Amino acid sequence: MIRAEQLSFSIGDFQLRRLDLEVAPEQYFVLLGPPGSGKTILLECLCGLKRIQSGRIYIDGCDVASREPRSRDIGYVPQDYALFPHLSIERNIAFGLHVGGFDRRTTHDRVARTAQMLGIERMLKRSVKGLSGGERQRVALARALVLQPKVLLLDEPVCALDEATRQDVCAELHRIQRQFGVTTIHVSHNLEEVFSVADKAGILYQGQFQQVGSIDELLRKPRNEFVARFMRCENLLDGRVIRTDPQSETSTVQCGKVRLTVPGRHQGQIKLVIRPENVRLSTSKAQSNSINEIPVKLSAFRDCGNYVKMELRNGVKLVAHLSHSAFAELNLGPQSELIVQLRPEHIHVLPE
Amino acid sequence: MRKFMSLSNGSNCPIRGWRDRVFAAAGFFFVAVFVGFILLLLIADALYIDKKAVLSVLKSGFIRDALWLSIWTSFATSFISLLFAVPIGYSLSRFRFPGRVLVDAIVDLPVIFPPLVVGLTLLIFFSQTFLGRWIQGDLGVEFVFQRKGIVICQFVSAASLAIRSSITAFDEVDRRFEHVALTLGCTQWGSFRRISLPLALNGIVAGGILTWARAFGLFGPLLIFVGSFRGRTEVISTTVFLEQSVGHLEVALAVAMLMIVVAVIALTTIRLFGGRARVKS
Repeated sequence: MIRAEQLSFSIGDFQLRRLDLEVAPEQYFVLLGPPGSGKTILLECLCGLKRIQSGRIYIDGCDVASREPRSRDIGYVPQDYALFPHLSIERNIAFGLHVGGFDRRTTHDRVARTAQMLGIERMLKRSVKGLSGGERQRVALARALVLQPKVLLLDEPVCALDEATRQDVCAELHRIQRQFGVTTIHVSHNLEEVFSVADKAGILYQGQFQQVGSIDELLRKPRNEFVARFMRCENLLDGRVIRTDPQSETSTVQCGKVRLTVPGRHQGQIKLVIRPENVRLSTSKAQSNSINEIPVKLSAFRDCGNYVKMELRNGVKLVAHLSHSAFAELNLGPQSELIVQLRPEHIHVLPE
Repeated sequence: MRKFMSLSNGSNCPIRGWRDRVFAAAGFFFVAVFVGFILLLLIADALYIDKKAVLSVLKSGFIRDALWLSIWTSFATSFISLLFAVPIGYSLSRFRFPGRVLVDAIVDLPVIFPPLVVGLTLLIFFSQTFLGRWIQGDLGVEFVFQRKGIVICQFVSAASLAIRSSITAFDEVDRRFEHVALTLGCTQWGSFRRISLPLALNGIVAGGILTWARAFGLFGPLLIFVGSFRGRTEVISTTVFLEQSVGHLEVALAVAMLMIVVAVIALTTIRLFGGRARVKS
């Protein structure tokens, strides 16, 4: 387990401000954020490569903030893996064991076992030059894991890979993490990686956590506009509460020309978040009165590979994501008239 | 096989169309002019050389002594320069401190000194200043017009080359290698010894070669600081000057050719060792 309390660090104009972070034992935590948000700096602070200005870092209950990197029991895999080019794969993996003074037999056994678990046992004698991105990653992981660290820190471990192999490698990373049972923090700016590996994620922006939680929480209950946009929620509507119903615990909100019923009691100006995949489309009215219905016109659509992105307008602008089959069933053309159906529980009101 | 592969990779420069050919030809034109000019100079010397003069040079005990003095002092200078170059190079490459820019400039200063100025400066320091007189007098370590002075003179003139190469070599080593080594159990010294130094070694060796070449051929500062006393402080480069100044042009030329042969042998040997280290790594 790793826990950071009130961690502060500054360099130039940039600063990490009183960050709190807790990753449970054997949990896979993904540290998300746009480039320049401080993800790599936070990782370097955790493993001791940057000296924090204040705060505490606990690993399995021990405060390691004042310890050198070598005494923190942390495995670190930087971007591009930083494999030592003057050493063979075997000597790269065995590096930490050699430094630690392990005897030859133990070193050999542990290198062989780790290499086998990562599927690289046949390439141990080779040079690190000429390895593919995936192979380099495995060697870097083996080099970190052979020392059996308590925490594994991965800095954008799949950013050097192509889109097609990234998903597979992420799945492999998750398998390896489970196999070794090591608490892991994985830095990324790519949302797809979160879905593939994360038990929990945190979104960092300008040196501060915007939100930490499960993937479901980040997707469906973003804490602020930045998180909503980062999680690719394209429907952010400004509205004004015109009525609250204490019995049903709902509020009626006026968004432009449209009235929506949203869960909870609110007042004044609020911001609504609706995920594009929760926007349902129909050509006829629904039977239930509890569903918000908005007549709209299809203004544009685009094939995005896995889904079709549709832009809908009528007083408000909404974006919907439909599967190809659902889109084909609707048999739509430009300016087609549709009815958007929104369940109140699919509308999230941003906290003030 | 490895050599073949590296050759094929090295020559894997795509040349297509007449523009690429003209571009490549322009590059090779300058290579040919430079290499050709150097070879022409050597050939001219070789044609002019007198066999009797060569024999007399090879038989001369004084010249053998001067050659041997040049060889061991230049190797000693290279060794001492590298002893300084590695820690200075690492420190200037890795650490940021107030006045670093100034220190960096001072490191290069001896390279831009006119050669005679180096000799004159050393002479003034050791004969005119309190510290210099104390070293020579009270401490009893004499440099002026002594053999020890040859090494210190070569060191001041040539060490900057080794230091500059060392700084560049350490700059080219990605710091992330050191960071990873620190998380794998290394101390700063351990990451330097196991990672930075082996990765910077080729650049450091190259600096050592430059230093040796500069020290071996050094002439002006030595003439001023240690003089050219036959059998005592005469090195091979001052022999050329002395022979030429008394009208023995054939002997001077034969000594010069001897210097060139020794320099080529030494440089090739060092490069071979450097190359072997590279292949091994």
